[in-house]
Amino acid sequence: MWRHGRGRLGRRASQVAACALVVGASCSAPAAQEGMRGTPFEEPLPAPALRLADTEGNSFDLRRQAPGVVTLVFFGYTSCPDVCPIQMATLAAAYRELEPEVKNGIRVVFVSTDPDRDTPEVLRAWLDGFDRSFVGLRGPLGEINEALADLLLPGVVVLPAGDGSDAPLVGHPSAIVAFGKDGLARYRYPFGTRSADWLHDLPRLVQGP
Amino acid sequence: MSWWCFAQQEAWTWTWRPLLGVWILLAALGWAYRRMLTSLRAEDPDWRLEPWRPTLFGAGLFLLWASLDWPMGPLGASYFASLHMVQFLAVGVAAPALLLLALPARAFRRLGSGSAGVPSILAAASHPLSAFAIFNVTMTVTHWPSVVDSLMPTQFGSFLLDGAWLAAGVVFWWPVIAPVPHRPGFSPLAKIGYLALNAFLIRPPFAMLIFSENPIYAIYELAPPPASSAIDDQQLAGVIMEIGTAWIMFAGVTVVFWRWMRAEAGRPPAPYSGDASTG
Repeated sequence: MWRHGRGRLGRRASQVAACALVVGASCSAPAAQEGMRGTPFEEPLPAPALRLADTEGNSFDLRRQAPGVVTLVFFGYTSCPDVCPIQMATLAAAYRELEPEVKNGIRVVFVSTDPDRDTPEVLRAWLDGFDRSFVGLRGPLGEINEALADLLLPGVVVLPAGDGSDAPLVGHPSAIVAFGKDGLARYRYPFGTRSADWLHDLPRLVQGP
Repeated sequence: MSWWCFAQQEAWTWTWRPLLGVWILLAALGWAYRRMLTSLRAEDPDWRLEPWRPTLFGAGLFLLWASLDWPMGPLGASYFASLHMVQFLAVGVAAPALLLLALPARAFRRLGSGSAGVPSILAAASHPLSAFAIFNVTMTVTHWPSVVDSLMPTQFGSFLLDGAWLAAGVVFWWPVIAPVPHRPGFSPLAKIGYLALNAFLIRPPFAMLIFSENPIYAIYELAPPPASSAIDDQQLAGVIMEIGTAWIMFAGVTVVFWRWMRAEAGRPPAPYSGDASTG
């Protein structure tokens, strides 16, 4: 697998990934399906109590909405120059190829880590570029950081702008978290996950618990 | 300043970033060409170089520069498989033909009678069968997904790929363009067949590019913006490779055919055998 480059954001993504690995290593017994390409959580984790507004202004409760379908949650922001558009594009490319019965069993949720710039309109327009069914959520960063902590993922860090840009950069986990139909977080899909990996794992996730 | 373009996981910017290695390569090629011409003139002061040859040499250098330096180099290395294939057509197919056409026959003769060992290597590598094999194996290996994904993220690996393309292109065109080593069996018709075969040949990586349902190169699938849809870009790359190679090969066929016709037209008629019977 091709590794992340040496860019500024690449380094940050690697640090975030390394941090997630260190945190993850403290847990115990594995509970994963055979042959999956995602990285299993050492122990499945319950969905965090995260209740945010979607792009239409409706309330979305991750814990209540999660059971019954596989939910893929990604924490990122629309101005992200590299990790977010790539992760979403590879996932969307695979999602488009899925059989309808598999697709109906999957929900993709994007949680903005930059709620000031990611207005509902901006968030909706950006997600529509990938797939109109993708859910966009925004809300207070404090609640989002608590949810990330519950998932043993590093929190959101706002970094000063670089390279002559006025826009701040937002550090966030680079992995997409997959919740099984039972509502438990079971796998992480780090940056570098390819469409072929999604096409391999998504039908299995839908068939799984 | 970088030495050579390579796959970087950074969003594209229009900040000019020249690539030092490309400029050094072009300067070295230009210096070698000039030195060779000076040396040939010193041997025979009456000798005159056809004026179109330096023009072709300049065109070859321009193609190398345009395809390897900023912005084409980084765009092809990091963001678009389709531009990567345009680079290949320029570096591995078109530029070598132009550079060889720029050499006068005297230069080929000198290269063919150089130091011990070189002529035999040259004779072996430039045999049409070996040239065909070297070019197509290099073309296939250097576009194999695992090779591209392993080498492109480093400057040295990317330089190695571009160098292999250029060298394989020179070997490929040598039997078509160079008069030395002289191969009576490799007639103009055989040259046309050699080029036509390469025009129609579908190599495995390019079939994969066109027909694969998933992106085959990780570097282009995981490229930051402005990369387009990885699968659309990949299919375009496959089409560019197949059609682009065919076009260049047919341009070669046209030149070989034209030279052949011109040579036939200038040849004196065969002597009368004198055994015609009368009625």
